[in-house]
Amino acid sequence: MDFIFHGLTEAFRLLVTGDAETFSAVAATLTVSSYSMAASLIIGIPLGFALGYLRFPGKHYMRLVVDTGLSLPTVFIGLLVYAFVSHRGPLGDMGLLFTLPGIAVGQTILALPIVIALSATAIESLESDLRTTLLSLGAGRYQLVLSTLWEARHAILAAALTAYGRVMTEVGISMMVGGNIKWDTRTITTAIALETNKGKFALGIALGLVLLMIAFAVNAGVSFLRRK
Amino acid sequence: MSLYRLENIVHFYGGRPVLSVDRWDIRQGAITGLYGPNGSGKSTLLKLLGFVDTPTLGAIHFQGRRAETYSRRIRDRVALMPQESHLLKRSVYKNIAYGLRIRKDKAKEAEKIRLAMSLVGLDADQFADRPWYALSGGEARRVSMAARLVLNPSVLLLDEPTTSVDAASAKMMKQAATEAHRKWGASLVISSHDLQWLQDICHDIVYMFNGMILGEGGKTFIFGPWEKTGTRRAARRLADGQVFKTENAPENPAGATAAIDPEDLSIHTSAEVVPPGKPPLKGLITRLVLEKHADRISVSVSVGDTEFILYLDPETISRHGYQPGMPVLIAYNPGNVEWYSASAY
Repeated sequence: MDFIFHGLTEAFRLLVTGDAETFSAVAATLTVSSYSMAASLIIGIPLGFALGYLRFPGKHYMRLVVDTGLSLPTVFIGLLVYAFVSHRGPLGDMGLLFTLPGIAVGQTILALPIVIALSATAIESLESDLRTTLLSLGAGRYQLVLSTLWEARHAILAAALTAYGRVMTEVGISMMVGGNIKWDTRTITTAIALETNKGKFALGIALGLVLLMIAFAVNAGVSFLRRK
Repeated sequence: MSLYRLENIVHFYGGRPVLSVDRWDIRQGAITGLYGPNGSGKSTLLKLLGFVDTPTLGAIHFQGRRAETYSRRIRDRVALMPQESHLLKRSVYKNIAYGLRIRKDKAKEAEKIRLAMSLVGLDADQFADRPWYALSGGEARRVSMAARLVLNPSVLLLDEPTTSVDAASAKMMKQAATEAHRKWGASLVISSHDLQWLQDICHDIVYMFNGMILGEGGKTFIFGPWEKTGTRRAARRLADGQVFKTENAPENPAGATAAIDPEDLSIHTSAEVVPPGKPPLKGLITRLVLEKHADRISVSVSVGDTEFILYLDPETISRHGYQPGMPVLIAYNPGNVEWYSASAY
């Protein structure tokens, strides 16, 4: 028990004194998760809207594919991205291997099915009278789309939160594509894995606490937005 | 020029035909009523008139021009209040402001919204900031109405505006509809089960059944279920327990609708003077209305929840002293009932 208690006190010391290594991992995590969330929301919300709102041949199969994507293991995504961006891979010239943008690509692949599937469900679960209401008040095509998304905003926000939670906590992609390079691509989760292996619990616990605080801050922000 | 002209309209839902109108004109500036049982196609027809749905077949002409669903010219003039009061997930104020904002009509927004709310009897100070979920059914309906009235539409389409609301809300909705017509000359098309209200305010009433327009004017419609009582005979028990019998029923009358021409109805003060072969029903005179363009008076006699309509000349009315609230006998010809089948398609 002592080593856990010692780890906790040491963790607070690292956080309070602004330990550079700890904050380097925090900065890497925030940067990479911001990239991947921005990309997955920009791509995923319109696709989720289309999947939930429109009727087209093959929609059912499309939905099946997206839902399957919800179960994608992070190590498999890591493997795929690694294969594509490694020097021998088709995107090797882009220099994404062992970089934060490289990790962001993998995390976008992880978050995208979540955003698409949950946004589609959010749109599908809107009352069927909404379209009639919007049109009956004079909405044109463009306003119909924007207002429908706005009406589903709470559920879409929940989709984004779920995706963010997954992106923040994944290890496989960051480890395989990022390479866990100290001061560069080492994220909170890869640092925790490494430090725990080395038996250094303090840094691991400190980073774990930061992860929880980030999650709390994001949820508090979303909760505030929901009341708006 | 007609406000609307519908030509050869056929509309399908899920591959099933739900509306069929060969030709129908709606007058500009008039109040038109749609009356008929549930599932008769009133809501579908209103959605087509509101350009919320596009007819599967046929054409709708609006003010002389063929109408396209998303045309701005139409969207700015027509406002439909659907049967279900779906409010947007925002405050009452923002719900009412939605239509103005998408039209980029920012001038005097607060003033217009306050006026629209007052038309439906909602106090702006009390209700403007309320969220959509903190309203009763009647209040939500009134917000929905205010959201249409604020647009000052030249055409206001109301789908069952008084259904599922409390008496006070129903009264406010009726007043607001009349105000829209009186204040800015809006043409109104109203579907309602409240025939008496429609008769009070409408210039034209159209009867619908099974997706078809049966006709305009004063026929009495008795909707099923009918009970077959013999060859070509059927009976319908009315709400007060009296039975309406017919002798020219179709083979399978169960879900059919019977229409009785006013010419085949007569009104009497006692059973002794009822002509033989015309069974009488006990009823109550509910309304006497002088027809606008004819020298005759429309007499409504309520039997249970069925309203029988016939026409009398003013002299007969005065000779017998007919007046609202007077109990009378209404006699009909059981062998001369017009039938509309439940399976028209």
